Order: sequence, then structure tokens, then C-alpha cells
Amino acid sequence: MPHRWGMAVDLDTCTGCGACVTACHAENNIPTVGPEQAARGRAMHWLRVERYWEGEFPDVRLKFRPVMCQQCDAAPCEPVCPTYASHHTAEGLNAQVYNRCIGTRYCANACPYNVRFFEFFNPQWPKPLHLQLNPDVSVREVGVMEKCTFCVQRINAASIDAKAEKRELKDGDIKPACVQSCSARAMVFGDLNDPESEVSRLSRSPRGGKLLEDLGTLPKVTYLERQTQV
Amino acid sequence: MDRRDFIKLTAITGTSATLASCGNPEHQLIRFVPDDDVVPGVAEWKPSVCPMCAAGCGVSVRVMDADVETTRNGQAGVVKMAVAKKLEGNAKDPISQGGLCARGQASIQVTYHPDRLTQPLKRAGARGSGEFTPITWDEAIAELTAQLDTLAAAKDQKSLAFLTRPHRGRRTALAAELLKGYGAEPPIAHELFADEVLRRANGISFGHEQLPTIDLARSRFAISFGADFLGTWNSPVAQSTAYAAMRQGRPGVRGAFVQVESRMSLTGASADEWVPVTPGTEGVLALGLAHVILAGKHPADAGRAGAAIDGWSAGLPDYAPAKVAQITGVPAKTIERIARSLVEMQPSVAIAGGAALAHTNGLFHALAVNALNALLGSVERPGGVFFTPGHVKSEVRSLKSEILSSAKVLLLDDANPVFDAPKAWKVREALAAIPFIASFGSFVDDTSVHADLILPDHSFLEAWVDSAPESGSIEAVSTAAGPAMKPLYQTRAMADVLIEVAGKLKAPVALPWKTAEEVAKAVGSPQSQSPAPSPKVPAKFVEPVFDGEASQYPFHFLPYASLTFGDGSSAHLPWLQEMPDPLTSAMWSSWVEINPRTAERLQLAQGDLVDISSSQGTLRAPVMIFPGIAPDIVAMPVGQGHELFTRYASGRGVNPIAILAAATDSETGALAWAATRVKIARAGDGDGRLIMFAGEMHEHPHEHETR
Repeated sequence: MPHRWGMAVDLDTCTGCGACVTACHAENNIPTVGPEQAARGRAMHWLRVERYWEGEFPDVRLKFRPVMCQQCDAAPCEPVCPTYASHHTAEGLNAQVYNRCIGTRYCANACPYNVRFFEFFNPQWPKPLHLQLNPDVSVREVGVMEKCTFCVQRINAASIDAKAEKRELKDGDIKPACVQSCSARAMVFGDLNDPESEVSRLSRSPRGGKLLEDLGTLPKVTYLERQTQV
Repeated sequence: MDRRDFIKLTAITGTSATLASCGNPEHQLIRFVPDDDVVPGVAEWKPSVCPMCAAGCGVSVRVMDADVETTRNGQAGVVKMAVAKKLEGNAKDPISQGGLCARGQASIQVTYHPDRLTQPLKRAGARGSGEFTPITWDEAIAELTAQLDTLAAAKDQKSLAFLTRPHRGRRTALAAELLKGYGAEPPIAHELFADEVLRRANGISFGHEQLPTIDLARSRFAISFGADFLGTWNSPVAQSTAYAAMRQGRPGVRGAFVQVESRMSLTGASADEWVPVTPGTEGVLALGLAHVILAGKHPADAGRAGAAIDGWSAGLPDYAPAKVAQITGVPAKTIERIARSLVEMQPSVAIAGGAALAHTNGLFHALAVNALNALLGSVERPGGVFFTPGHVKSEVRSLKSEILSSAKVLLLDDANPVFDAPKAWKVREALAAIPFIASFGSFVDDTSVHADLILPDHSFLEAWVDSAPESGSIEAVSTAAGPAMKPLYQTRAMADVLIEVAGKLKAPVALPWKTAEEVAKAVGSPQSQSPAPSPKVPAKFVEPVFDGEASQYPFHFLPYASLTFGDGSSAHLPWLQEMPDPLTSAMWSSWVEINPRTAERLQLAQGDLVDISSSQGTLRAPVMIFPGIAPDIVAMPVGQGHELFTRYASGRGVNPIAILAAATDSETGALAWAATRVKIARAGDGDGRLIMFAGEMHEHPHEHETR
């Protein structure tokens, strides 16, 4: 059976610290656009921490939710792409082929999660900031749409290693950069087709739910809601 | 002979004729030979220590080959070398345990910053003009040596000062040795959010003058008084790991926690209950909880428990819930309920830190919380408070307003008091009066721009690093790691420079170490711990004193440590500038957090500009409507507003420290950075300087406005 990659995020342990946001930038060669372009809504964060305020002072609460591409099984971004740049892989990822992308931005328009980002410019890394670039991840050029890949380069690297060692991938072999950086271990990645995997176990939690589930997008990211006490 | 040596040899013999006039040809050619440890496309992982805060997280550095434009042995060219690509937490490190915060992730940009200094510099223009000319290392070391010799010749050794940040491990130990041998006073350490009050309190209460390690992983109930322990306080990565274990790490047990503060921090957002409190009364609440706990016990038990703490045998009659409610603004029912939880949900623990201790009566609050812990039996017990063994206290002095004025030669090691000390300390004026200033920093910042000589240090990835964290682990931790990569530039480890200067003085100073490597590897000897005294009761509650009359300045002003910039020392990193602040989604900005009702009353909308004035001055910043703040408090993150700190931070936003009064804790003399009052006045409509990631995404905001 092929793998079916998914993620679970425990909002009861997520502190909203944003380590995953920066880890994602570091791993995936995501450019910083600077203050002027950020003010125009062009900042690129494949992964963001959303906040939900409830109540009024003094009975005020704040909840965080890290949101990345939900890697939907019925992804609205895929059928609208005229060039099949946005497509579904055999392992269930919503992949983006940068070389096919002609920048119609239909996919970003269709995505209900607002997790697709457009390269308005050729990215710039004043030297020697270019040395931080990850050689395993392509640098996208102007006119291309990009998004969270579940760190497909790490999935591939681990798969190749396992193949070379003539073994099956083990649960926990693959950690996307966000999962790796999380000191609260609030994010778990793995194979949803393996019922014994940690991510499968968490996805079955009674606290589990999907983001904008009613839209029928069949996301592969499960959020375990925060518990309350006191 | 292996292949590599063969290539070296042929390269040298093949071209030595053309280079014969350029000195030693091997030195000229060495740059053509790749590093021994580089296999193209294959990553190696090397250990290092994150330098961004005193927590001292162990990291793993992903190292791969790259073409680097650099200068080696006076020749510019492209070198194939192994360079750092990414930092991750080191799973074997007891502090980071494999995790790493946003600042740690971004610290790689310190090494690759486009405005990093690449070689020694000498001041060319007027002091503070920022004009420098490149010089050689020989000239730089000769200059520094001559300055120290001149002081020594005048028998004025005491006028040498070394200004650094606290808790920098072995490099401070080396500086202290050098100063001692030379005949000067110990190093001066300065940091805005220094936790000195808590250290002093822990020394008084428990005999350990260090920050505590909170064993949250085994707690069932925690109450934090102002400590942003998941974001910026103490050892956030270790504490986040422990916090997650407290929540979901034990089957059937979910630990709970209460956060007491007046502005919701990142930590406050995760609390089960968020309890706003009148600033400067946190310790009263702790004693109120103790009162309820003592009152709820059988008289005999209460007597025994109370007697364990000096002066508590009477059960704290002055701190009955009704009275505490009046002082703190926390309802009596809430106090009773939390007190019950502290007793019923054992093990429980109390934590104090941050703004709660940054008042003129800061030590009182810290001692009160310590005594509460003692009453709960939470000291050195699973699920309670521990002190990392083997902690070596650095021999340093605190920066005070007058301490720099007697200096004639100042050595500057990354501290930036022009930015992060109150104006009333007159740091800028003191620097102007110091005849000679040398800086070891990698960047020209608000303070080091006043230097006469700059001797840039390696980045942490290029140098020997060490760490012996004072907290974050129940076991003693000591780390030393070699360079993860070769230096990119003509920089030198500060330790090596100090050692060389010490040896070249007319009266050489003998140091116990000969290289930076030896310095890093020399583990300090732990000081003997005095036995823990019985916890002292805090002196009677003294009202906090705030700068500015409430009638004229109606708001409390709360500057807080930024999640991304800390005290401002990482504002130069573009990843952190563009990282949306989790509580507001602001990027690249300064802002003033105001309660929605207060904003309504003052007719302020999100992004409108306000003038915030204290007795010390006025700042102009955009409004951030913030639901998690008391109506009579305004808060600002610290970190922006650098006059000079590279292309990414210079002139960006405003610096809240600039309007802080120089109030201090009355017992310890530590800066009371939460003791200033301000007034606010509308200054105009928003002009786009508040940049946020969330919200509408107008592609052309100006068109929308004119339509």
C-alpha cells in the first residue's frame, strides 16, 4: 500500500511560539519580502500561527492554531490549475510543479485556507545570506505559486535512505522542519495508511477535527482541540 | 599519499613559478583545495550552542559544501568550503532536547548577515559617525596593547572596564582572569531583562543565587506570576518541552496552570485561567494564597506548616482574601479557588518572573512566591522547583549609571546599553567621555558605533563555544563544541585576541589558557553551595512606587521582551523581522497595545498613531487593539527602534526603553522596568507603519483609500 502522508497538531500542547514558522523559512528557502511588500500582503509564510480571541477583559482567552497546507484529498486548488502544476501525488500530497506554473493564481483563489503564496519578485538574498539556502529545495522565481510541501525533500531523502538500506520506512523516520523544531512536540507527521503510526493514533482522537471540515476538502491535517480545566 | 595531498602538491608545483614573487605559494594556493571533510551534496551534522539567549540550547548544525566568495591570506576568490545550512535542536542536549525556538532557528543569519563586519576597523570620522577604515590584525592588536600599556604606565589599571552581557560562560571567565591579572575591576554585565531580583531572592530563600528549573513535566498544577516561561523567560525551549509533558505526557493526568499578569503574554494565552492583577501587587496575591492554604489546614498542621517559614505561624492574618482582593484586584473567590487547586492538585508549583519582579518592590514579590513554594513543599521535589547543580556564578558587576564614568579604556563585548538602558543612566554621555573604546562585536550597533577600534569576533558557528546553563535541567549540564565551519572572514575569536594582548603587554598577564579552545574546554569548578536557610518571609508589603503622578500619567507602561527580538539583540535578522508576532501578527513594526474599551474611549482605531509620554520623553507609535490587556495599561514590545543596527533594523520603529524612568528595586538596585507611568494622546490617522500578516490583503492599499 502506498504511503498517505498526514499530520496531527495538538493544540493542547502548542504554545504558539512560532518556532515552526522560522524553521519552515530556513528549510524551504522561503524569501523575506521586506516591510514595503509585507505591507501589501506579499509576505510569504507557508506556515503561520493563527490567533482566536474570545471574550472581553478580564475574561479573555486566546487560542493559537498553526496553519499550513492541509494537503486536502479533495483539494480545491488542483482542478482549477490549467497547467497541472498543482496536482495530487500517489502519496496524497498536493504537489506544486514550479516549472509548469504560469502564475494564473487560480489555485490561491480557490484555496479556502489561504496557504498558497505567489512570488511577486525574483527573491533576493543579499550576499552572503544565500549561503543559508538549502540545496535540497529549489529556489522559486518570479511568477510562480508556492506552498507547504510537507517538506517533500525530507520525505524523499528518508525514502531513498530506507531503500538503500533495504528496509521499510519506520514511523518517525520523517520529520518536516516544523515538526522537528517544535519543542512542545505538538506536531506529529507520518503515514495515515499505517493504523499503528502516531499520526494515525492522534487523528482518531476524540479531540480531533479538521479545519473548515464542512467544505468537504478532506484535509489530511488533524487538529486536536485544546482542553479546558480549572 | 592520498588523492587530496596529490592534488595539493600538483597544484603547488604546477603554478608555483607564477606565484614565486608572492611569498609562500602554499598559502596562496590553499584556497583551491576543498576542505577535507566536504563531500559534495552530503550533509554532516556538527554540534554547537545557540548564542541567542542565556538558556544555552545545544544545537546540531547541518553542514554542506558551498562556493564562498571570501578573502584568504590576502587573496580574494571563491573557496569551496563546508558551511552551515540549518540549525536544529540537538536531541542529546538536556536543555533543547531536539527543539529550537524561532530565535535559535534564525541565529544562522548572524553568520551570513550581509552587514557583518569582516575585518578589524579603526575609527576614521568623528566619534559615533560610523566612519571606519580597515586595518590589519597586527595593527589592531598593537593599538589595543598600547592603550593598555599606557594605562598601566600611569598606574591607572582600575580605569580599564570590560562591558559584556551576563551569563556568557567561559569568555567572561577569561575576561575576568585578564582583568584580575592586569589589576582592574571585574567585568561589567548588562542586559535589560536580567532577572537579578529573582536570583537574589533565590539566594535569600534557598541559598541558590540562580534561576530555578521548573519541573513542569511532573507538576499537576502551576501558577506563574508574570513569568513568560513559554516565550521569553529563563529557558523557554526546555520549559516548553516540560509544559507539553505536563499537559499531555501522562495518561489520564492533564496538568493545569494559571497565569497572573496584567498583559497577556504568549504563556498567558496557553493558561487554563488568566488572572489579571494590579501591577506591583503580585506578591500580595501569593501571600493571600498562602493565607487561604494555612487557614484551610487543621490548626496543628497549619502551625507546623507555618512554623517552617519564619513568621508564618500566625497564618498571615494581614492577607485574608477580602483584603488581598482589594489590593490586587483579583476577586476573593478566585483566590480561594486557586489556593484550593494548589493544595488538591499536588505536586503544584509557583513561578515568578518578568514584569512581576520589575517593580520598586520586586524583591518582595519574588520572596513571597518563594515562600509559597516552601509552604507547598515544592522545593527540590518532583513537580516543583529545582536548582541546576554545579552552577558557577560569573564574577561580574552590574551596570549602574555611574560605573562607566570612571573608565578610560572600555572593552565592549556585545552589550548594547545605549539601546537598552534608560536615558537617565546617561550611558551615551559616559561613552563620550571615555578616551578609548574597543568593540569585539560582529556588527556596528547603537553602542559599538562609538568605538575607536573594532576587533570583530568570529560568529558562534566559526568558533569554540561553551555553555553551562544555570537552569533548564535538573542535572548539571556542561557543553563545549568546536567550530561548525571555518571563518568566512578575517575575524578572530575574542578569546584568542585577549590572550595575545595579555602576552604582549609590557607587564604580561599570565593566563591559565593559551587558545580559545582551551578556554571553552576548561570547565569551571562549581562553587560550594551553602545549606538552604529556612525561607525568609518577605518584608512587609510596601506599595510599589511608579514614576509619574497617576493624575497626569494615567496609564501603566509595560515594555515586554519580544518573542522574536528578546531585548532587541536579534532585531537585525530578517527572518525574525518578517516573522508575524503570534499574538498580533505584526511584522517589521513597533506598536502600542491598548485595551479595546480604552481605545474606544480615546477614539483610537487599529493603526492610528499615538504619542506616549512619560516624565522621560515621548514616543510615536501605531495602536494595536489588544483584548488581553487591562484598561489602564499600555504595553510595547522591546526590540525595535535601533538608531543603528544593520540595514534591517536601523531606524525601524521606536524604542520603549527610551522613555523608561530609571526606577530601581529598592532592595537589589535592579532596574524596575515596569515602574513607569505614561499618558497617551492621539497623534493622527494610521500611515501604514503598522504592518500585519493577518487581515485583509489589499494588493494596492493606496488605491483602496482613494476610491
